[in-house]
Amino acid sequence: MIQFESVSLGYGDKVVVSDINIAVPEGKTMVILGDSGSGKSTLLKGVLGILHPMSGRITVDGDSVGDLDEKDILLYRQRIGMVFQEGALFDSLTVGENVGFWLWEHTDWPDDRIEERVRTLLRFVKLEDVIDKRPEALSGGMKRRVAIARAMAPQDPKVMLYDEPTTGLDPFTSRSICDLIRQVQAEFRVMSLVVTHDLHDAFRVGDLFSFIHDSKVILTGDRKTIEESKDPFIRTFLST
Amino acid sequence: MKLFLEKMADIVETVGDFALMVFKGFRYMLTHFRTGDTLIQMDRIGVGSIPIVFLASIFAGLDMALQFEVVMAPYGARALLGKVVTTSIIRDMGPVLASLVMLARVTAGISSELGMMNATQQIDALRVMGVDPLDRLVAPRIFAGIVMMPILSISGDFLALLAGMGISTAIGHVPAPLFWSGVRDALTAQNLTNAFLKPVFFGFILTSIGCFYGIRSSGGAYGVGRSVTKAVVAAAIWILVANFLLSKLLINIWGLS
Ligand SMILES: Nc1ncnc2c1ncn2[C@@H]1O[C@H](COP(=O)(O)OP(=O)(O)OP(=O)(O)O)[C@@H](O)[C@H]1O
Ligand SMILES: [Mg+2]
Repeated sequence: MIQFESVSLGYGDKVVVSDINIAVPEGKTMVILGDSGSGKSTLLKGVLGILHPMSGRITVDGDSVGDLDEKDILLYRQRIGMVFQEGALFDSLTVGENVGFWLWEHTDWPDDRIEERVRTLLRFVKLEDVIDKRPEALSGGMKRRVAIARAMAPQDPKVMLYDEPTTGLDPFTSRSICDLIRQVQAEFRVMSLVVTHDLHDAFRVGDLFSFIHDSKVILTGDRKTIEESKDPFIRTFLST
Repeated sequence: MKLFLEKMADIVETVGDFALMVFKGFRYMLTHFRTGDTLIQMDRIGVGSIPIVFLASIFAGLDMALQFEVVMAPYGARALLGKVVTTSIIRDMGPVLASLVMLARVTAGISSELGMMNATQQIDALRVMGVDPLDRLVAPRIFAGIVMMPILSISGDFLALLAGMGISTAIGHVPAPLFWSGVRDALTAQNLTNAFLKPVFFGFILTSIGCFYGIRSSGGAYGVGRSVTKAVVAAAIWILVANFLLSKLLINIWGLS
């Protein structure tokens, strides 16, 4: 379970989100919705332990992320797959090297074993043929797929985090990325946090939904709760 | 007054961050040397800069020989030309010029590359995957700068001297052997130490400042642009400051020989 307990996060003395209380149950996908700049990516940084809560705590399977020391945080992050906004692929490396990066860095596996794992992962995201290409030669959708494969490389992860996985993609490609996210969840039984501002995609991938507005979570619930909400902000969000 | 104090606090903090980056970078070089990444950087920083450094050195050598000849000929001191040209090239002109022409390639190149990596979250991605950017990105670049800069600078010095000798014999009526014996006279321990030590420091300045501003940049393309400007200006100033300080230090050690 991923749990936020009265969490505030920010940069310097600037508070971006405050008093966040949300929980993602085992095997479920929660979608975080909110305007640009509302602090969605900031929440993910909290889960990753890149940013420490100003108050409250974030726990993943009982580990309080902010309290892990330098060594434990590395072990902790092995259980987490992060798909960054736009993919954040290393553009000096090939697709294969990107996907195998973690294995090169942290295991002493022989080359052929790494390559085999990389191929398996790329096959899973249906991109085995671009293994030797550079990221700049890929379309936006392909980059997201590679980023998903890279995020799953350490081992079969327990938690997947996706930062706007469909932003900037055409509807058809968005849909295929959403399907892939669902497929990862179904096959690996992961908990996922998906950040987006697209409601259609949210409903396509999510089991639970949280709306952030004015630095607070204003509503959390399943699709029905959201659709029946009378909150004016959510009504506007739903009507777009 | 408050603003002044804040500014001072900022400067202290920046210097502290820089020192920490450098300390950790060197620690990684010692504990976790990355041969592959370092060779790539040596190739990019060093081999890639050969044409521009060599070209700059040749023209500097030509020009110095020309100008000193103008000053010295009336005193009948042509015989000293080789010594004077050599001394000024290997003590100051060579290392400083080579470093300044490398600003664009090395400092601007590194700060924009790392700045873009930061803006596109590649640096966050490294951290998330359990790799310290100081280990993977910074240490190999600083090491490459420290090793390659002396090699480039000293080769450049040599070309500058050949060029100086060429023009002196061609239009200055100083026979090559005379010029060359002046060169040999100038190859003193102090001058050679200058020639070697300065580029080591300058290579460090060029790369470490590029890394520092690149990794700290924020705010997309605009932020990267600002970081590159800051890095280049800071590196240029620090090269000139370090040059003066090193000159002074070496003169103190050897005296005015
Ligand atoms: N490194 C940082 N330093 C200072 N402020 C930051 C930093 N990163 C983000 N912020 C600020 O925090 C706020 C929330 O940013 P965040 O990136 O979490 O928003 P977001 O909801 O992900 O937006 P988007 O949909 O545009 O990605 C913004 O006001 C932003 O200016
Ligand atoms: Mg964001």
